[in-house]
Parts: sequence; structure tokens; C-alpha cells
Amino acid sequence: MGRTNSISMTKTGSPQSMIHSMKKEKTAPVGMSGTNLSQDEFESLFGKYWAHVYRILRRLVLDPVEAEDLALETFLRLYQRLPIEEQDFQLGGWLYRVATNLGLRSIRSFKRREHYEITAGNYALEDAPETRPTELLAQKEESVLARQALAQMSERQSQLLVLRYSGLSYKEIASALTLSPTSIGPLLLRAEREFEACYRALAQEEE
Amino acid sequence: MKQHLTEGELRASLDGELVRDQLLHLESCPECQTRQRQIQAEYLRSAKRLAFLAPGNEPVPSVKTAWSRSPHHVLKQKETSMFKKFFAFPVVRAGAVAILALAMLMAFPTTRALASDLLNLFRVQQVAILPIDMSGMESLTGNEALGNKMSELMSNSTEITKEANEPVTVTNASEASAAAGFDVRLPKDMTASTILVSDSSAFTINIDRAKIQALLDEAGRSDLILSGTMDGAEISMNIPASVNTTFGTCPEFDAESSEFSGENPSGMNARYADCLVFGQIPSPIVQAPADVNMEELAQLALEFSGMSSEEAAALADTVDWTSTLVVPLPRDAATYSDVSVDGVTGSLIQSDSEYAPQFALLWVKDGVVYFISGSGADASRAFDLVNALP
Repeated sequence: MGRTNSISMTKTGSPQSMIHSMKKEKTAPVGMSGTNLSQDEFESLFGKYWAHVYRILRRLVLDPVEAEDLALETFLRLYQRLPIEEQDFQLGGWLYRVATNLGLRSIRSFKRREHYEITAGNYALEDAPETRPTELLAQKEESVLARQALAQMSERQSQLLVLRYSGLSYKEIASALTLSPTSIGPLLLRAEREFEACYRALAQEEE
Repeated sequence: MKQHLTEGELRASLDGELVRDQLLHLESCPECQTRQRQIQAEYLRSAKRLAFLAPGNEPVPSVKTAWSRSPHHVLKQKETSMFKKFFAFPVVRAGAVAILALAMLMAFPTTRALASDLLNLFRVQQVAILPIDMSGMESLTGNEALGNKMSELMSNSTEITKEANEPVTVTNASEASAAAGFDVRLPKDMTASTILVSDSSAFTINIDRAKIQALLDEAGRSDLILSGTMDGAEISMNIPASVNTTFGTCPEFDAESSEFSGENPSGMNARYADCLVFGQIPSPIVQAPADVNMEELAQLALEFSGMSSEEAAALADTVDWTSTLVVPLPRDAATYSDVSVDGVTGSLIQSDSEYAPQFALLWVKDGVVYFISGSGADASRAFDLVNALP
């Protein structure tokens, strides 16, 4: 991997830069040519994408320990998939998609909803200590409901929302989800409407 | 462009994702602009709710730390050779295998509280090698959905009640005894390369019969039925501190995976020809409700691995599951025999591989499980070590 990869991440570690790196790799494949990936190569890949994968999971599940576990699980899935022989394999998009799925599943599988709410509330508090308590409470409730709404939706729709609101362009989303770029607008609108319906239903349950 | 924009295109316009023709139309079409504002209101509502997904500057665990926990360790496990199996700290590992096997059969916690006087206690008093035909498991390899469900079931059904601290290195038997909390035996006149004390840990497993049954169905084994008496049972396991001593030149011990790392077996054999690993641990203690039938669980696990119902029943019947550390050994991977060791009967496992023969010697004495492993066809080195024990 390290042999051809000269693309570095930006300091902000934005999803865009991640996708940018992926695209570069498509033209200059990095350990993706179908041959066995050595441990050194895998380590290089791991180091390159670790922060990106972790961050999206951290935002999704909030709990840093859970996010770290899921990020490791994402790389494990990649490792189990190797060697990859598809010529058009989009490494970064694949990692993002798997990470998103794992994060959403984690939200779904929280054993007790109360536990999730407490966890989410605690980390929200840590993340925004300067926010006033009433605002924080409202934000916490919204954030918990939004995550639960995402977890209730179909995999494809929630992936779409997570990727878009994480800052990916339509072209990048299309690449990650193997869709046509022109289909992203309509699919996004549909997903947002579905999200709103789920959110409202959950909010009503809460009342 | 005369045709009005679709809703999807109007949504895309809010993200600046229109092509030039579409953009020109939008700029000149009041009707599309009105519809765009309506869609924008929907979009803004979603955007507010999903703002938590926006890229931020969350602190990220260092790559180095993450890498130490990364899949390359799992890789080692996936490619575990007989050598590595033998060199892994087997008591902990065998215990973990048993626990994982149980965990496959047990799930979510219930509110059922179990008084201690209703519990059976399981302590290891002997070791038994169980040759297993893994054909049933092989057919499940690559079944990712099933793997995910199993992982989920296991993580949801297991609660760690005592997390182990980092292992500590000591220099002699008395330090090891003090750190581990039991009388550690080390051979006289042999210089240890490393003495590593691993901390104790404890966890509980809960059984949800319905979920286990669903998992068996998913695995294509609807014929295996778990008894209703197990539903809701809570099983706890205490794993005492253990001591792992190496002699000669050995591969590095990975505390996280409880394994010795290294390259392929043949290379390791040559490089670590004089290595001996000596492990000892007081018996793990398992507490389970009196109505949990371990024999039935064992039979079910054996059938799951590919054994016929009759064969599994016969085999399950030969083992006292309440006092035996069962070491599953894939058929054809190695041979085993009962041997006299340290005044008791133990088991000697030997791999027949021509290029990388290995051996492992296991026995239980006075409530402590012992294990010695090494490379090469000559297992007499293990017996020499035993004979030098106080």
C-alpha cells in the first residue's frame, strides 16, 4: 500500500478528503490488485483511514469506546474481504459504507433504550459544556430521536443521509453506494421525508 | 431548457448539484423557484435534526493504539497454526472457547435473580481432549450475516463483571505468587526468559432460548432444540489470575490476544527451537443454575460442529462436564494420548506435521491447571520441566 500511495489526508480529516484519497487510489491501486495484502500494507491503509472511519462512527454512536470498537470491526471486515479483485473497487467508499452500517446497527441493538439515552446525554454534555442546560436537554432529545429515526429507516436511505450530512458530494455518495449521481437528489429527498416521518412518530411516542 | 425541474432536481439544487441547463431554467422559472422554497423548508428541518453528523474535530484515538487492537491480531487468530495454538496460553484460551461455545447458546439478560444456593459450581479437576469433526462449522464459514448475529448475541448476552488489568512482568516465583494470588511453581535450575502474570477477570452470560433457537435456524440447524429449562438462566464465570513463563528464545507474547506472535510455523520452529512455554492457572469457577444441563449443552454444541446425534450423545455421556476442562481438537490436526505427569494423569497432544511438529502437555493438580508447549517432535523437554518442579 505504501508503495504507491502519496495522497495524504487533510488536517481537518474531512470526508471529502477521504473520498478524494479513494479516487486517487482507484487510479493508483493500493494493495487492491487482487494479490495478497501483506501486514505492512494493511497497516499503512489502516493508518490512513483510521481517523476518518472513527470520526463518522463517533458522530453516529457518540460513545467513543463503541466508536473505536466499530471502527476496528470495519477494518476487520475489510481484512476478511481481502484480496479484492474488482478493478473498480472503491476502498474509501466501501469503508464508509460499512462503518455507517455498523454504527446504525449499533444504535438499533442498544439493549435498553434508556441506556442509549443516558449515554447519548452524557456525551452530548461532554461535547458541549458551554451550552445552557435547557438547550442542551432539547439538543440531547433531538439528537437521540434523530439517531433512532436513522436506525429505523432502510439501510440504503439512512446511509444516504449519513453520507450526505457528513459532507460528501453527490458524486462521492454515488461512488460509495454504487448509484448514479443524478439519482442522488431524488433519493435524498425521499430519504429526508422518510426520516422526518420516523422522527415525528418517535417524538409522538415520547409524548 | 423548458421542462420544469423535478422534485429531486430541486432538492439537488439546494446542494449546488445542478448542471448548467437546469440551473439556467431554475433562475428563470418562478414556478420552479416556488417549489424549490417548499423543498428547502423540508430540507432545513432535516438539516437541523441531522446537524450532529457534520464533520467536527472529535478527538481520535491514536493510530498506534488502535493498530495494537486492530484486525492484524485477528488475522493471527484466523491463521492460527497448531504451533500458535499450542503456544497460546491454553487454559485461558480453552476456557474462552468453552465460554464462547456457551455464549453461542445463551443470550439476553433477564430479570431472573438466582440465589447462590440454587447454583451448581464447576471447577476443573481434569483435562479431556475431545476430537471434533469441524465439517459442520466449515459450512458456516463466510456466512457473514450469521457471524454478525452471533457476535451481537454474544456481546449482548455477556456482561463483564470484572475487567482484567494489564499483565505484569515479574522476576521470580515468589513475586509471581504474590501477584497472582496462588502458589506459583517454577522449575528449579531452569532460568526463565519471562514470567508474565495476567490479571483475573469475571463475567456473566445469560440465556435467551428464543434468540439462540433463531440463530440455530439461521445456521440451518432447526433440528437442534435447546431445552426450555435453560431459558433465562444466568451463568457466571470467574477466571483467576494466571502465570505464563517462557524458557529459551520464544516469540513475543501478545497480552491482548493471549497469544504468542510470530511468522509461519516452519520458520518459528527453527527460530524458537529451544522455546518452552509453561502456563498455570487455578481452575476457573463457573456458577450455573442447578437446572442447566451441561451435558445437554455439550451434546448440542457437538452436533452443531457436525457430529451425528448418536455420536454426540455417546461422547457427551463420557465426560463429566462439571469438572472437566474440555479441549476441542480438530480431527486429523494432531494426535493425543493420556500420560502420567506430576503424579496425575494428563494429556499429551502432538502435531504430526513434518515441517513443524509441536507438542502440548496438559494436566490438573490440586485445583491448578498446568500447560507446557514447545516445538519439535521430542516432547521429553516438557517432562524434564515437570520433573524439575518443586
